[in-house]
Amino acid sequence: MTSDRTANRLSRILALIPYVLAKDGAKVSDIVERFGYTEAELTRDLNTVFFCGLPGYTPGDLMEAYIDGDEVVIDAADYFARPPRLTSMEALGLIAAGMAILGSGQGSPELEKAVDKLTKSLLPDGGAAIDVDVSGDSKNLAALKMAATQRRVVRITYRSLTHEEETLRDIEPWAVVTTLGNWYVQGHCRMVDAERVFRVDRIRQMEVLDEEFERPSDLTEPGIGYTPSDDDIAARIMLSPSARWVLDYYPVDVLEETKTGTEIRFTSPDAEIPARLLLRLGPEARLLEGEEVRARLVSIAETLLTRYR
Amino acid sequence: MQNVVERVINLLIYLLDSPNPVTAEQVRQTVAGYGEQSDEAFHRMFERDKDLLKRMGVPLELKATDKWEIDFGYTVDPDRYAIPDPRLTEQERVALSVAARMVRLGGVNAGLAGLLKLGGVEVGAGIEPLAADLGAEGTVLGDLYVAVTERRRLEFDYAGSKRLLDPYAIAHRRGHWYLIGHTVDGERVYRVDRISALEVGKEAGAFERPKHFQVKRAMSTHPWEAGTDETVDATVRFDPDVAWWAARHLGVEGPGDGPLEVELPVANRDAFIGWVLGFGPDAEVLGPAELRQQVLARIEAAVRAAQ
Repeated sequence: MTSDRTANRLSRILALIPYVLAKDGAKVSDIVERFGYTEAELTRDLNTVFFCGLPGYTPGDLMEAYIDGDEVVIDAADYFARPPRLTSMEALGLIAAGMAILGSGQGSPELEKAVDKLTKSLLPDGGAAIDVDVSGDSKNLAALKMAATQRRVVRITYRSLTHEEETLRDIEPWAVVTTLGNWYVQGHCRMVDAERVFRVDRIRQMEVLDEEFERPSDLTEPGIGYTPSDDDIAARIMLSPSARWVLDYYPVDVLEETKTGTEIRFTSPDAEIPARLLLRLGPEARLLEGEEVRARLVSIAETLLTRYR
Repeated sequence: MQNVVERVINLLIYLLDSPNPVTAEQVRQTVAGYGEQSDEAFHRMFERDKDLLKRMGVPLELKATDKWEIDFGYTVDPDRYAIPDPRLTEQERVALSVAARMVRLGGVNAGLAGLLKLGGVEVGAGIEPLAADLGAEGTVLGDLYVAVTERRRLEFDYAGSKRLLDPYAIAHRRGHWYLIGHTVDGERVYRVDRISALEVGKEAGAFERPKHFQVKRAMSTHPWEAGTDETVDATVRFDPDVAWWAARHLGVEGPGDGPLEVELPVANRDAFIGWVLGFGPDAEVLGPAELRQQVLARIEAAVRAAQ
């Protein structure tokens, strides 16, 4: 297998040539930015192109490629005049990206036009073949995105997923992220003075304050993770095959997997989450270990049973 | 690496420029960089280079070099090599750059590499405040994309049995990718991450997608709307504490500070009961009576399973 580096370098060269050919006088500064080159890399790649061409490989058969002053010159490369086909993942990735942002209500008329042009040229029979929906509450998303961009503190009324209670908190939003079907805002929570992740749909009310905050400089790619701590309650649960979807939605450890079931370890800061999960799974899950979870489940069930009986 | 890059570009030019398919031997004798190799080294090298071209999206094909189909050779059709240029304006390209930087697919910003081929990427100003992770492993989804766009039949394993279908579309909903297609039993929806042993048909344009087909109509908004149960209208009551949140999820008018009572069409009772019970003591199915009985049975079963 040839390395990814080689593949990426080749891809970039084959993308560069048609761009320069189509443009009358492509500036070095422009190329460097668009294609993510350093000037040294660009020079090296142009030198490579200069040695390629039609069989025979006499000077008349080779492409021309060099830097002239502040311009990039490429010539005698007619076979590369049009942009190369995208791989299926590049095409899907690009269309899906546009559709996702539009669907979240954070797009623009330009993005809409771009997606329209892309679907027309990449999908031979129109846009019916691909559909991406990551819609959330677009008003809240827009406000949070704006606050994250302008680094403004946000006051939220939040209904916690783990404790089922409402709290009023000031948060410093770093990023707004969607994963596994939910939107989250990630940032610093002033109430607990620590980094926290909040589900956007559980923010009942919010107000963007005038106060600005300092974003940590070492912030990496936004991501949603849950790190178990020693204070967590733990439960061992046996899932029947039809309840296996739990693995996709909850951060659980798989202890054993057989044809008849999957044994998992479920850790959570509060017994409420596993208890409600067991309630909704009914006969599809068996609690093997976890006294707190059992007690919570029984208590919720008692309340419900008096209503339903 | 220098030699590989040069050799592969030369190979691609030769394949694009040759009017007829060329054999491996012709490649060896013609393209710079192959000549000096032993038989074994050449074949290894040529295999690797072909693989590299395919990975980059180059439509490399093996075709008969004569009408008697005795010899086969390689070719790249210039019209399939290039895409019809979508002619993005600068503003459109920048808007797509921003979107592609925000959205991850299969763990990477897959769209950025694609945009490079369409005129390059706009450098962002630091970390984007918005991000979307569309999940999914690359390979199956890539194959499904090819199948739906080129209308190729599919065969795969799903939930323990073989499925055969005409794939109409792929869609992302609630954090997962779905495949929608037509089987002998009618239109069906499959979760992509549960598809295995996928075979994509050789023939392109193997079926017609109905003109009126729409993903939005084929896919339900809520999991309990898609099912084979006899549809019932369920009435649910949400306590004031969670009423605003339920209203937001259902896309109905919020109740202010009071409780919320709504009627919902249910075609998948299992999914519906699960969803309502997820609210714990804060939601109650008011009717119909038989559905209430089923909720009750589920609660009792859950208590039994926890003992």
